[in-house]
Amino acid sequence: MRIAHRMLPAAFLAGLITLLAACAQMQELPSLPASHPEALAVGQQTDCSECHDDQARGTLKALTAFSHTPAFVKNHRFYAASDDRLCAVCHKSSFCNDCHTNKVEMKPSYKFGYRPDREMPHRGDFLTLHKIEGKLDPASCYRCHGRANNERCVACHR
Amino acid sequence: MKKALCRLLSAVSLLALPATASAAETAVDSTTIFRFEQRDISGASKQDFMPATQFLGLDVEKLADGNLSLHFSGWGRADLADKSYNNDKVDGSFTYGYLQYRFKEANATVRLGRLFVHEGIANEQVDGISARTDLPLGFGLSAFGGATVHTKHLYGEKSDGKGDSIIGGRATYRYKGFLELGASAVYEDNAPKLINYANATHRLLGGDIWLTPHRMVEIMGHSSYNTETRTLAEHSYLLNLKPLRNLVVTGEFNEYRDRGYLNSWAMFSGAALNPADKSRSLGGSASYDIAKNVELAADYKHYTRELGNADRYGINGRFGFLNNTVRTGIGYHYLRAGSGFAIGTTPSASYHELHAFALHDSATYFAALDGIDYIFKDKVYNEKSAWEGTASLGYHITPALALSGDVSYGRNPQFTEEIKGLVRLTYTTTFDSKRGKK
Repeated sequence: MRIAHRMLPAAFLAGLITLLAACAQMQELPSLPASHPEALAVGQQTDCSECHDDQARGTLKALTAFSHTPAFVKNHRFYAASDDRLCAVCHKSSFCNDCHTNKVEMKPSYKFGYRPDREMPHRGDFLTLHKIEGKLDPASCYRCHGRANNERCVACHR
Repeated sequence: MKKALCRLLSAVSLLALPATASAAETAVDSTTIFRFEQRDISGASKQDFMPATQFLGLDVEKLADGNLSLHFSGWGRADLADKSYNNDKVDGSFTYGYLQYRFKEANATVRLGRLFVHEGIANEQVDGISARTDLPLGFGLSAFGGATVHTKHLYGEKSDGKGDSIIGGRATYRYKGFLELGASAVYEDNAPKLINYANATHRLLGGDIWLTPHRMVEIMGHSSYNTETRTLAEHSYLLNLKPLRNLVVTGEFNEYRDRGYLNSWAMFSGAALNPADKSRSLGGSASYDIAKNVELAADYKHYTRELGNADRYGINGRFGFLNNTVRTGIGYHYLRAGSGFAIGTTPSASYHELHAFALHDSATYFAALDGIDYIFKDKVYNEKSAWEGTASLGYHITPALALSGDVSYGRNPQFTEEIKGLVRLTYTTTFDSKRGKK
């Protein structure tokens, strides 16, 4: 009952936004397509500028900003924080959850051992390395293990 | 009550399906993995593990009027030999499962169920609801809320330290293709009292910006403020410069105040963290595409903490051949870090990192080789390096079904020897209820 009671504000807010969304339909505001009209090659660092030179309808940001350069892959958290609706045009949620999840069963690089070209965290003996990296940049641990996916941390950090 | 609510949400989600699935398009993504591992730990007997894991993803699109969809992902594991990890021989996780309604205009969506939220400074997982829409004049609004998805209990506690419910959202303003400003907030229910850990409630306010004054220049980032500790939590900003089509130069600045940013990290919020400490990193990178599928990159980052300073720099190269069906990569990085970051009594934390891979993916078979080596400046637990090599070979039985196997061997300071193998069956396909398999 306590949880249900505390979900009321969330339900109210979501209801309000749904109502606003319904009103926004009448304004015919541009929206991103549900999915990319053409299938993109697997394993290719997608270069949006090969086909696009304009702004993405629905984000008003230049599509070339989303080309998957090494810099984009490394810094994709900045884009996902404000434009995950654009990510969703090509990627299912499970693509993100291969690495970002609440409870991981095995290292992503192990599950996808046949795809070493994918940037995956904690390759090799990270069990040793985390004793260095954790002191160097604890915020980088916190982002994924601070409020989720901490089962393996709890096993030793008591 | 929370469990009952989760079951109710799941039940409601599933009840809607049979009546509306007549024109649905269903995508199935299944991976079954049988692992075989042997670990030789110094001073202990060898350990053998044989866990079997099933990952399952399901996306049912075009339900009802075509704008409704159902999304599910999760995994389950059974140990066929000794316990592979924790005290249970069977384990699993319900990663996400939600119904989504996507409006035709204004990027408006409503989601109901277990879902992840990424909105400005909010990165949460909830059992509840989220909604978002663009509004006229460049404004936008999103909100989420529900029951917190808890994780494993902390040692000796009856909780993971998180509150039971959470609510948050983000408001944005966009000006043409030039500027986006966002304000976001997260408000969690009071954190439970813990016996062995210092604990704090997770409540943050934040702002984010995206600015492109010129098509070659892009600035983005966010700052957050912890309303519980009344201190700044985080500044994180990125500058992207694209002076040439094939050249990207970046600059990055991050600063984290432990008291503000890590306050709700119950596992470390006690003696392990110094509330007065802060982390700062400043770095940059450059990447250049020499030709299609030939990519070179270099990066540098300087870290500043109370423990000392450190630098990391290195280069990467990626190369594609035969219409990118053959892909290779090499990389080298060096971390220069002093004794403050070292393991135990090791005088230095510095190490070299070498990484190389090659793979081939054809219509019939696929194969990959991957090697990574960390070479320590000073020995760690009497080992000079930690390395691992992996070979993978697979066969496409059909375009949707593939069978593959991996073998890896390594030596490192944790395990004298580590031998791992797995057999993997993947099935990925999409069915259209009108036209059959796509």
